[in-house]
Amino acid sequence: MQIYLPIAEVSVNIFLILGMGGGIGFLSGLFGVGGGFLMTPLLIFIGIPPAVAVGTEANQIVASSISGVLAHFKRGNVDVKMGIMLLIGGVIGSTFGVWLFTFLKTLGQIDLVIKLSYVIFLGIIGSLMFIESLNAMRRAKKAAPPKHKGHNFLHALPFKVRFRRSKLYISAILPIGVGVVVGILSAIMGVGGGFVMVPAMIYLLGMPTAVVVGTSLFQIIFVTANVTVLQAVNNYAVDVVLALLLLIGGVIGAQFGARAGAKLKGEQLRGLLALMVLGVCVKIALDLTLTPVDLYALGTTGGH
Amino acid sequence: MTRAMMLTFKRLMVLSALLLSSGFASASQLDVDLSKPDVRLDVSFEGSELLLFGAKQTDGDIIVVVRGPEKDTSMRLKERIMGVWVNTDEVIFEKAPTYYALAATKPVEFILPKAVLEHEKIGTEHLGLKAIAAPDGADEATIQNFRAGLIRNMVRRALYSSKNSPVDLVGKQLFRTNLWFPANVHVGHYAVDTYLVQDGKIQIHNTTNLQVHKVGLEAEIFSFAHDHALIYGLLAILIAVVAGWSANAVFKKRG
Repeated sequence: MQIYLPIAEVSVNIFLILGMGGGIGFLSGLFGVGGGFLMTPLLIFIGIPPAVAVGTEANQIVASSISGVLAHFKRGNVDVKMGIMLLIGGVIGSTFGVWLFTFLKTLGQIDLVIKLSYVIFLGIIGSLMFIESLNAMRRAKKAAPPKHKGHNFLHALPFKVRFRRSKLYISAILPIGVGVVVGILSAIMGVGGGFVMVPAMIYLLGMPTAVVVGTSLFQIIFVTANVTVLQAVNNYAVDVVLALLLLIGGVIGAQFGARAGAKLKGEQLRGLLALMVLGVCVKIALDLTLTPVDLYALGTTGGH
Repeated sequence: MTRAMMLTFKRLMVLSALLLSSGFASASQLDVDLSKPDVRLDVSFEGSELLLFGAKQTDGDIIVVVRGPEKDTSMRLKERIMGVWVNTDEVIFEKAPTYYALAATKPVEFILPKAVLEHEKIGTEHLGLKAIAAPDGADEATIQNFRAGLIRNMVRRALYSSKNSPVDLVGKQLFRTNLWFPANVHVGHYAVDTYLVQDGKIQIHNTTNLQVHKVGLEAEIFSFAHDHALIYGLLAILIAVVAGWSANAVFKKRG
């Protein structure tokens, strides 16, 4: 069954969109990532204009993140204080990111920068997570005691704040800094940024894995809500019909995902996410290096 | 669809009856009509086929050209730099049509001389797209490559027809052709030009207008998103919040 989308101005299959929403929503609930890094490329792949894919996807992530975060709140797995610190950084970062996006667009290189950032970030994070989770699984088998986290220069930073939920006493500069970096990336790559934030929270801030997912979702809600409004006002790029279809599938998928996540072990979860991240990375790398169908492509000037 | 076809058929019958009974004196030399006065983009739009039909009083070939709204269009060339395909040179063409369809009783180059085709902009190679921005030192051959690239891209999107589709003659006087508007068609004013050609000369040139527009819910959402962008954005978030919350509430009861 086909439906014509009013803003995207293309005709799509309803069940394809519902299925994509459900599948990615499941991953979103499972890993605590918004799923934008998978959905945005997928939407573009099925023919949705890139700007509309980014704007609409942000809107959908708001819904799936709320649905996910509520499930995590119930289990007490959201560190609100940490989330707010990340959010402050996120607002600063995304504001700068939007400015950078506009600048790169005038140079005509935004597509390349988006794809290269995907390849670089997904590649690094995917590999690191995969190796780490393999090591963790091996350690778990041997039943060796977990390694104690050593103190490094990050713990010497000023403005220390106590985060009860995360059982951390670290400088406020750290979560704000992570928020800034993720904010820049989310503005440029059109994603919530969970796939960068989750590993940063685990490896950089040293947060317990259980709290990371809920806290990440909490912060993503506000960042993507902000992106939705900005995209709607500046680019008229939010398609509510498409968003509604995606989120019907998405919110349901996220619920199942959150439940499945509770049954899996942390290192298994991270290993699976790492494989997904690497898969998308390889796909985009191929797009960049394989010879295109036509060396001449329509540009973005005067798009409607 | 069948209703539309019935309607079309009726209109054809009425038109032909009118023409045949009135004879040469009262009917004009070339009459053209469309099966529908507009293309409506509604929720179920998957592209639309329109029937153009008409009657001519004399011998000669028929050429039909449909042009969509124009806009300045940018073309970019990709080059491989360190293994990665990168956008390099850009050429912007002034007022390229967003839609261009061509139909004729036989290939247009057998109907009209090249000069006339160029003057009337009949055929994608005769669109005469003018470059208003190009890299420094780009010669005409380079620009022509970009121009051909634009046409190739539009043909791939089914928005341009690469060669003319047939105009069918029904008897000596009636003719018909099908026009296809794909789902990615742009909204706006479309011009349908019909030419009656004899001995390499345009005898009659008839222009009909066609509207491509959004209707119903599609039109309302589109205009609301543009006229009240901030409220639209906030509503989109509200929908997302309600959807996320209610999904959680439903699952809580079950779980």
